[in-house]
Amino acid sequence: MRARRRFGRFIQGLLLVLLAVYSILPIYLVTIESLKTIDEDVYGNPFYLVHPNFEWYQGLFEEQEWVIGNRVAHHTVPFLVWTKNTAIVFTAALVVILATSLAAAYALARLRPPGWRWWRRALLATFLIPQTILFLPLYHFVFRLRLDDSLLALVLTYPMLAIPFCVWLLSAYFQKLSPDIEDSAYIEGANRLTAFIRIVLPMSWPVIVAAGLFALGVISSDFILAGTFLPNVWHQTIAVGLATMDVSLEDLTVVSGISLGGLPVLVIAALLASTYVRGLTAAMIEGA
Amino acid sequence: MPARRRRELLAAYLLLAPAALLVFGVLAFPFGWEVWISLTDSFVQRTSTTFIGLANYAEFLRDPSFWRAAANTLGYLVITTTLKLAVGIGIAVLLSKPFPGRPLVFIAVFLPWAYPGGLAYVGWYWFMIPPLHSAFSTFFANINYALDGTLGYGTWAFISLIMFNVWRGGSFVGILLLAALNGIPEDLFDYAVLEVKSAWRKFWMVTVPLLRPFLALAAFLSITSAVADLGNVWMQSGHRDVYPIVWTQAFHLAIIGGEWGKAAAESLILLPVLVLILFVCFRLLEPLEEDPA
Repeated sequence: MRARRRFGRFIQGLLLVLLAVYSILPIYLVTIESLKTIDEDVYGNPFYLVHPNFEWYQGLFEEQEWVIGNRVAHHTVPFLVWTKNTAIVFTAALVVILATSLAAAYALARLRPPGWRWWRRALLATFLIPQTILFLPLYHFVFRLRLDDSLLALVLTYPMLAIPFCVWLLSAYFQKLSPDIEDSAYIEGANRLTAFIRIVLPMSWPVIVAAGLFALGVISSDFILAGTFLPNVWHQTIAVGLATMDVSLEDLTVVSGISLGGLPVLVIAALLASTYVRGLTAAMIEGA
Repeated sequence: MPARRRRELLAAYLLLAPAALLVFGVLAFPFGWEVWISLTDSFVQRTSTTFIGLANYAEFLRDPSFWRAAANTLGYLVITTTLKLAVGIGIAVLLSKPFPGRPLVFIAVFLPWAYPGGLAYVGWYWFMIPPLHSAFSTFFANINYALDGTLGYGTWAFISLIMFNVWRGGSFVGILLLAALNGIPEDLFDYAVLEVKSAWRKFWMVTVPLLRPFLALAAFLSITSAVADLGNVWMQSGHRDVYPIVWTQAFHLAIIGGEWGKAAAESLILLPVLVLILFVCFRLLEPLEEDPA
């Protein structure tokens, strides 16, 4: 019996190690490849790194002056510009998504308009519309609004990718929250808005983190919309910029760009991971 | 209706409006356009379009290459969803009990999904189908040739796409199910242990039924993400019409062929199947939508 338990523990440990390796391996490979010299990349062992160097990272920030159209370009790879664009788009989209989802979720779960369940389901159902060629008419739509080649186009279209699930999650949570929580505030004379901002919002922090990380995951995996709406190199986001930039043979600048672009997100995710899980649990099961 | 309730309803609709506008409003025109254009013979170089009813759809139903694509599509969705649910359940069960080093493994498992997908696609392309020489290219090129040679052109791209989708999506499903397991009261499992002895039977008779609504939610989200990955990968990969899947074929028809009418029809043709899946998932999801007792 003891031997069997020990064997079980051993198998469990083995599976856990395998799981961790499986999860990290691709990220690890990208990271070490970005640190390799070209010689080591071609002839070396793919699984480890002998002579780390940062030449490809320097390539991302290399200064060089040449003229495109009638303006002077300062960077060979406009990585900083892409980073700035990505930061702007993601922050703006995230704010829009969370603000509108919180409002809608509160309305559905607490004010209960007729058919509130169906509102939620109808929102979720839009996930099923195949996105494949939707970007053609969407481009038309964006063009009519004169938003083509503008970051606003993404801020306008990204929310539809995340709002349905965020509303579902947040409203499931508000629904499970006992009404007594605000009632005491009403007795003190607070109105709905103050009660929401002062009492409900601070309590909901884990669920908001969960919704926000979900939204970030969805919008950061978009490629089609960013690629279609932003034809100009100087207006692109990191992912599209890296995918469409010209590379010469023997050039790992793209790989270093991937690894650098992923870094901040990895840090944020690692810090918020357990809050994310707590938020999901709270929304799906209990109310606290 | 009392005035108070009327005011509440007005507030409810006002609060709903921005979200509804950003979803239904933004989608209405493109979706309407897609439906309309699928009923016409729209072609990019023709100035006039004629209404031709369901002819585009009928043509696909007679086309054997469409049926091959439909079979591939079904296979793609079934394989990716099954694998993601399997990986996800594995992750959730392994991580639900405390053990030394759990936070570290947990964060490692969280990373595939947290890693920005847009960048991961670029990485996928650079590794699986390397555009230049690197230590990987011989290895992956050999796999590529071996598989494409025996099973047909595009097999490796198809498999690598599945691997990518499962790597990223499995992590999402795993964390979602872990959150569910964390919240299900321990007692429910304890009672069950009294009834069933074998761990395997406990898994099928207790864990899976308890997780059912969460599995439905995960399956629904994972199917939609599998479809979304197709478009992204199409944009990314060098060989466009990778393995005929209904939606990549539609892409090809629209972008390379310019046949917008047919492309729209093809991308909508599986909608009834997806709606069916949606209804099954909604049915299974109902327990999560209940008000607390």
